[in-house]
Amino acid sequence: MASTTSDAAVADTKPFDIVATYNELLRSDADLTMPIAAIEALVLLLTQSASSTISETLDLLEKSTAHLKRSIPNPIGLSAGTDLFQRYLITTLQRPGQLGPAGDFKAIRTHLLSNGRLFIRRAKESRDKIAAFGRGFIRDGSTILTNGGSRAVAALLQKAADEEGGPAVRFRVIYVLSSISQDCKQPNEEPEGMETVRALRAKGVPVSTIPESAVAYSLGKADMVIVGAEGVVENGGIVSRMGTYQIGLLAKAIGKPFYVVAESHKFVRLYPLGQYDLPIEQQVLEFKSEEDLEEERKQQSSVTKTDGDTSIKLPLCDSVDFTPPHLISALITDSGVLTPSAVSEELIKIWF
Amino acid sequence: MPSSSLALTPGLGSFLKCLKTNPIDTSIETLISLLKRRQIRHSRSCATATAYLLRSVISACRTTDSAKLIERVQSVGRRLMAAQPREMVVGNIVRRVLGLIRDEAEDDRDAEFALSDIGSESQPQTPRAYDDPSLPLDRDSPSFRSDERSSRPPLTSMFSLLSHPEPEHSLPSTPGSSSPNGRLPGHGPSKDVRAEVLEGIGEIIDELGQVDDQIAAYALDHIHSNEIILTHTSSTTVQKFLLKAAAKRKFTVIHAESYPNNHEDTHATVSGSAVTDDDNIGLEAFQKPLIEHGITVILIPDSAVFALMSRVNKVILGTHSVLANGGLVAAAGTRVIARAAKVHQTPVVVVSGVYKLSPVYPFDFDSLIEYGDPSKVLPYEEGDLVDLIDVQNPIYDYVPAELVDLYITNLGGHAPSYLYRIVSDHYRKEDISF
Repeated sequence: MASTTSDAAVADTKPFDIVATYNELLRSDADLTMPIAAIEALVLLLTQSASSTISETLDLLEKSTAHLKRSIPNPIGLSAGTDLFQRYLITTLQRPGQLGPAGDFKAIRTHLLSNGRLFIRRAKESRDKIAAFGRGFIRDGSTILTNGGSRAVAALLQKAADEEGGPAVRFRVIYVLSSISQDCKQPNEEPEGMETVRALRAKGVPVSTIPESAVAYSLGKADMVIVGAEGVVENGGIVSRMGTYQIGLLAKAIGKPFYVVAESHKFVRLYPLGQYDLPIEQQVLEFKSEEDLEEERKQQSSVTKTDGDTSIKLPLCDSVDFTPPHLISALITDSGVLTPSAVSEELIKIWF
Repeated sequence: MPSSSLALTPGLGSFLKCLKTNPIDTSIETLISLLKRRQIRHSRSCATATAYLLRSVISACRTTDSAKLIERVQSVGRRLMAAQPREMVVGNIVRRVLGLIRDEAEDDRDAEFALSDIGSESQPQTPRAYDDPSLPLDRDSPSFRSDERSSRPPLTSMFSLLSHPEPEHSLPSTPGSSSPNGRLPGHGPSKDVRAEVLEGIGEIIDELGQVDDQIAAYALDHIHSNEIILTHTSSTTVQKFLLKAAAKRKFTVIHAESYPNNHEDTHATVSGSAVTDDDNIGLEAFQKPLIEHGITVILIPDSAVFALMSRVNKVILGTHSVLANGGLVAAAGTRVIARAAKVHQTPVVVVSGVYKLSPVYPFDFDSLIEYGDPSKVLPYEEGDLVDLIDVQNPIYDYVPAELVDLYITNLGGHAPSYLYRIVSDHYRKEDISF
């Protein structure tokens, strides 16, 4: 972030590519969440641009955000970050004070540009905060069912197994490994979440890994379900890795509490009415007859893959589903343990 | 025990008397032992005793430094809560008093900043500041801070990610709600924080006295003519609620007797022969029972609840404490009633003062349940049997939020999912776990 090349020098070279920056940020740091990567990308964008007025900056942000959202197959997570960034700018400008309209616009610009690293660090710290809040949920002798590769959940479980901050909790974990994400990975690549499983086992936590089909069977042995989320939507539901919804339904049916662990910067202003109301295109349901398959094979042999088309559709392994709020017992966030209905209030506070 | 000199059975009355005459440390010890021995029980008695004790603690604490005041209240509060962790109202009152002190201290600081604001306004804000490395520190100057304070509501936790870095070392003022304690070093407050806090505690005590009447004021909105109401235990809040409605309307009350822990009180309430124990100092004794208002009261055993539920229009329940997730801890048998009501799609209304609303999230439901005297189930005369079987007498039930349709507090009616809002209105975040 600190690469403070002067604005003029950059303007001469090629234009700033926000999509590439975003992807690069995500790739370079495995601990980075999508909203934070989006905020970082916008901070970098501001560093590179010479905008000096408020409306110019807001306009630039709006255009780049729209471009970024269009080019990423699943923009739900990142839009939480871009919205937060934009609202922060606007709210700060409207507030009286040195950073407000009376003050110097450059001051807030410098603050944002010089603190890129700080935002990342805070975002990571918020996971520790969540772990501290969530520690109370994990009790001696309990069994926890979880899924996916959420870093917040991993941090929570590892913190509970650690000695520091109180005696280590003796608990067991049932880890649901996704089979759908296995399909588009290399055959020798391990499924998502294996890293956490290893880390937990190294700490002496007994972990059992099960396929998704064994969730209903195993849930009777679990005391609670803890899952992560990609985005928390306005009604308190979550958008998360495919398979979370069915775990939620099963947990409700069996009467086990279902907790969601998510940082508050993942709250996104979206109100999905159901599974098919998400603003993304997924390749999950593809109805095909033999005729269609024939057609596809022919096309594939004649034309090599057209990149432009496939990049916009979400690959099967990254597909998500929507878990409605009535299935969620509580959200463990860095601002405390919230009921699903508290999410909308947090969002209203920043938007209105 | 100091109160032994008084001609009273140990309880709230004797404690309040002892508070007047004894030094503060003795009073703290007295209350701790009363709580431990369960000689003060019922939410309201515990709350009243805690509020009076804290009032004495603060008036005895000769300091104008709010940080010291907070520390003192915290240490007393911790001991009280450790004495009886299941009486959550004790913690609630302690937290509200802590919140009062923090509010007063912050008001004070704001007033000070308003003064220093005038000085810093003239500070030059030139474009030079653009690449001035000292700028971030500059923004921590009082003028910036006080602006941030006055507009605290929009500055949410979501923005805290992007907000300005706050140096932990310098500056006494960190208006954000981050650090849990010791963040209020006094710097000569202009007014007496203590007097303001004592006034605030007085208001809490007044609230404890009025809460039932305030709740009862909503009775006519919820009880209609010719309805059949089912209730449970001898809760005075529920009784006042029903009595208020009985003054205007005719309805039927089915009263489950709540054997074995509360059936005697319930019988007394129904028949109107209730004697006030010293815990219920007040006007309850002079109140006429429901039957004298011409209300049909049917006393039933708890086992008949399900059978009668199909005829019931509304279930009105009292509670021991209400938790932040919308669930509640109430007399044993409440969950059965709430569950039966759910099966019959009968609305369940819980009446409770705001002081019973606890910011604590129930991590472990089992730890909330208190077990009482097993001899009420199986008397000791049956000694031979006691050897052979395990007798348990839980006093409380945990009722999950989804079984409750409406909470009526002294502030009005709320859905269970809205309770988190009331919690955040009444308690400071930094006081939730202290």
